[in-house]
Order: sequence, then structure tokens, then C-alpha cells
Amino acid sequence: MFDRQHRPSRISVAGIVLLSVALAIIPFVATTTGLRQASQIIISVLAVLGVNVAAGYGGMISLGHGVFVGVGAFATGYYLDDLSLPWLLAIALGTLTAALSGALVGLPALRIKGIHLALVTLGMAIVFQPLSKRFPKVTGGVSGQGIEARFDAPNWWPGDSRMTSAVYRYLFCVLVVVLALWVTWNIVNSRFGRSMRALRDNDTAAAIYGVDLVSARVTTFAVSAGLAGLCGALQVLLVPFVSQDKFPAQESLVIYASAVVGGLGTIWGPVLGVIARTAVGKAGDLVAGFDGFGPMGDFFTLLDESAFVFGVGLIVLTFFFPRGLAGIGRKRQPSG
Amino acid sequence: MDLVLLLQRVFDALFNSAIYSSLALALVIIFRSTGLLNFAQGEMATFTAYIAFVLLSGPQPRLTGGGLAGLVPGVPFTIPLAIVGAVLCGMAVGAATERVLIRPLGGASDLALVNITIGLLLATNSLMAQWWGTGPRIFPAIFPSGAGQHFTILGARLRYSTVGVWIVLLSVLVLLIVLLRHTRTGLAFRAVSISPSNAELVGVRVGPTLMYGWAMASGFGALAACLSANSVLLEPNMMLRVLVYAFAAATLGGLDSPKGALVGGLIIGLSQTLIPAYVPFIGFELSVLPALLAMVLILLIRPAGLYGTKRIERV
Repeated sequence: MFDRQHRPSRISVAGIVLLSVALAIIPFVATTTGLRQASQIIISVLAVLGVNVAAGYGGMISLGHGVFVGVGAFATGYYLDDLSLPWLLAIALGTLTAALSGALVGLPALRIKGIHLALVTLGMAIVFQPLSKRFPKVTGGVSGQGIEARFDAPNWWPGDSRMTSAVYRYLFCVLVVVLALWVTWNIVNSRFGRSMRALRDNDTAAAIYGVDLVSARVTTFAVSAGLAGLCGALQVLLVPFVSQDKFPAQESLVIYASAVVGGLGTIWGPVLGVIARTAVGKAGDLVAGFDGFGPMGDFFTLLDESAFVFGVGLIVLTFFFPRGLAGIGRKRQPSG
Repeated sequence: MDLVLLLQRVFDALFNSAIYSSLALALVIIFRSTGLLNFAQGEMATFTAYIAFVLLSGPQPRLTGGGLAGLVPGVPFTIPLAIVGAVLCGMAVGAATERVLIRPLGGASDLALVNITIGLLLATNSLMAQWWGTGPRIFPAIFPSGAGQHFTILGARLRYSTVGVWIVLLSVLVLLIVLLRHTRTGLAFRAVSISPSNAELVGVRVGPTLMYGWAMASGFGALAACLSANSVLLEPNMMLRVLVYAFAAATLGGLDSPKGALVGGLIIGLSQTLIPAYVPFIGFELSVLPALLAMVLILLIRPAGLYGTKRIERV
């Protein structure tokens, strides 16, 4: 945990510097497509952060955060096109809608705990695709629908090419993600954050010390779903198209896996998880393009499937580094 | 209400009921003995259905996938033999999972167990997609299921395949009960299911016994997948939705009650066919929604389900 005894170590300072440099270089070297892909990777931190808040800090396992990403995306699209709201308001309301749906799921989580909550949220992830096909007006049904609104650079922004807008969107996404990390860090270290963790470690004891179980659980889930919803809203900003086929159950599971692989209950875990996911994907692309493994080639193409690597990674890390990538360098602490 | 139509729908539902019951049984056997929900049960079962498919079709490089090409026998198996092969293979996979992934963890937290099974789900799912492709494959029918292949009862058609599936399920169940009641391993398994620590004290080797339990459960899962592969088409995500129905069935019956799994599977199967038929909004594709809602309601109101043991938490 981060508190006064655990100021950022040298490694994390070096990491932050390296990451900032990389983020600053990307707009100068990437194409518009590359920039959009980079932005998509960066905003996926938000969904993973959402799982981290629920599972890592709140102790509520959620295997269905892809649902909240979907709700955020569909809602934002609806506010933009059907209600013709401006972008910032639509994003804010989309996030809020996802947060409300999260609060709704948080209600049963008051009684359903641990492995049973994992079961319910997994069911939710599986139901989401067929359910969203039932509301074609908002979701575009089976094939999805385009969003007419565009998030373009304003007039005062220098330059007026397509690249300019891509850079503008990229910087906007980076800003939002950094803000979200900062706000989350403050939340988990606030009075509310402490009650959240107390609830995770021992809810009876937390209640005795005056934590309101109902509001703490529901709020935690709402915040966590809101973060995932924000990810969905920004997806619409980057690619103005919403479709149910972006949200299969496996997506929810990979988000969960990224959170665990990165490290639950740490603020940098989600960032590490997403970096790992990206690195695995890139390594897979390289291996898939290389054709010299002979009969073993078929096994190596599996590396191309990031879901496979993450599945295996989840198992391996559970055995050897239960605190995830973020916990590898850290001293063992009494686990919560 | 058209009674013949209703009867017809009930008959149709019975097929799915058998599938849900057997997968729910797999989940219950593992939950009862190990205390974990095996989220990967569906994917492990689908994997064995692919094994059966490979055994059936003989060596065709594109079909078998590079990784398994060397292991495939030269001659295609007959259907019953292929299913027996797949079930045995499923049992081996289940036993190996317990030995390699679950036992070394000891009494780990819920989170660790969820991670292991979800990891297994993801890995198996993409392994299948990589080896066999994501396109659906036609799995041959096990029982005669042509146009006229049915009994007619009160004007409604009861398909041979439905009867066949129930005969298989019930005979395997009888076999299971005989094993549990009349063999030493069965006795040991019952002891471990009631209390692992007490069983250990009287000399039962808990680890191997649990391994048999996992093998048994995965055998049931494999059977469910092989029996349903013809009607739902074989593809990597085949059992994902079936898993929700099976979990709903197991929850409804009580997560630690085999009898509950059977009854739960029956009820969930019936509701899956009857609810969409009479509630137009649900439709075929959304029929998984009522199952999920039922699961949530049971967990909220009566977590022990119909026949499960009530857990008393000490605070």
C-alpha cells in the first residue's frame, strides 16, 4: 500500500520518468493510426483500474467489467447523437451512467461475496452481448452503429490536418488517464479508501469500527464501474462507432487478468498490466511473422493470442507472485 | 394455451436439461469436495469434445492442428468409442488440473482459486481457437435424430436423442452411485467431501481422493459437451453460455448437492425453453438472462438453494 512509510521508490520514479518520456515521444513518431492505437491502449488502463478498485481495494472480485465499458460506450454514443450533447458533457454523463449501473450491481454484492460474486459478474459478462442486441436504438443491434459527432481539435489548436486532431485526442486521453489515476490514488488513500480496505480485510471488524457497509460497498462498485465506463466513453471518442461485438465475455476476463497480472491493490498495477498486455501482443506479432520454428511453430503461434498468454500468466503469477508484477520487487507484507 | 404445444416444448426442453444437469453435477462434485467454483469446467469440456471430433475424423492436418497431429490414430473411431476416448481424456485433464494447479496452492484464498480457474478458461479457450479455428464444426449426431426419429406421446414428439441422452446420463449416475457406495475410494471421497481434516485424521489420503473427484467431475463435463456438441455446433465458445445455465442449475439446487444439480438442471432446462416461448422480449438468444437473474435471486434470498447445506458463518 502507499502511505507515508512507502514513498515512491527509486524504481517507480525511474519508471514514471521512462513512461513520461515514451508518452511524449509517441506523437512525434507515430502515424495517425498508430496514435489512435496508442490512445486505445492508454485508455484501457481505466478499465483495468476499475477492476483494481473493486477487487484490489474493495475485495470484490469482478469478472464483468467489460460490461461497464460497454455501458459507458453505448451511453456516450446515445448522449452525443440522440440528445446532441457536447462531448465533455456526454463523456461525463456516460461515465455517470456506467457508475449508476455499477451501483446497481453493487447492491447484490452486499450479500453475495467472494467466489459467488465472481460467478454472478461472469454471468453478467456473458449475458451482456445478447442483451445489448435487444436495444438496437442505443447499441445498433447486431452490427453496431456509427456515431456522427467527431471529437476534433478546436480552432485555437495549432495546425489543421488529420494528424492534429489525432494528437489532440491522444493528449486528451493521456490527460484523462493521468487525472483518473491521481483521483483514484487520492480516493484509496482517503478516509473512504481506508474504510474500503477495512471492508476487504474484515467486514465485521470494519462495521464495528463504524464503516457503513452498505454505502461503502455500493460506492466502491460505482467508482470502479465509473472508471470502466470512462474507458468506454473515450473509446467512442477515438473510434466513433459502437457495437456489441467489442464486448465479448473474454474481454471482461482479459481486463480482470490484466488487473491481477499488474498487481491488485497497487496504483501502478493497472499501468503495468496494460504494458504487459501490449508487450505480449507485440511479441506475439513478431513471433507470428517469423517462420523458422519447424514443427514447434504451432506452439509459438499461441503467443500471438494474448488471451492465452494472459491465462497462463494469471496461473503462473498466482503461484509465484501473488501480488502481481507491481509486487515483484516489493518486500513481502502481511497479505490482506 | 395449447396443451400439445406445451408438452412439445417440455419434451424439447428435456434434452437441454440433461446437458445442464451433467455439467452442474461436474461443478457440484468439485465445489463439494474442493470448495471452489470451476469456471474453466465449460472450456475443459469443450476441449474434450474437440478431442472426440479429432478421434472421429482421423488424421487431417488442418483439422487436428499441428500440436496434436502426432497423437491422432490412423483410423477414425466410431462414435461411442470416440466419446469414451474423450471422456477418459477429460478425466485425465481434470486429474492433472487438481494435481498440478490446485493441490500445490493448499487452502489458498478465493481470489487465488478464481485466478487459477479464470486463467485456465482463457488459456484453454484461445488454445482451441488457435488449434481448431473459431468456425463452428458439425459434430455428428450420436443418436438417430432425423425427421421421423421420435416417439409420439399425446400428439407431441419425444425425440430419440432426448431419450438417449437421459439414458446415458442416468446410467452414468447409477454407476457413480455404485462407485460411491460400494468402493473404498468412493467411501474415502464421501468422507473427504464431508470433512477433509477429519478424513485425513482417520487415514484417508485426501490429495489423491480429491484428484479422483476432479477426474469424475471432468468426465461428467466431457460427457455433457460430447452429447450437446451436435445440437449447438462445436466451436470454442460452445460451453460458455451452457456454463451459465449449469451454474444457475447448481445454485438453484444448492451448490453442494448432487441431487440439487439434477433437479436444478431439470428446472433451468425447462425454464430456458418455456420462458422465451411465452415472453416474447426474451427470445431464444436472451434465454440466458432469466437463468442469471434466477442465480442472483437464489444467492440473495436462499444461498443454500433447494437442497444445499446451510452455511453458518461465525463472526
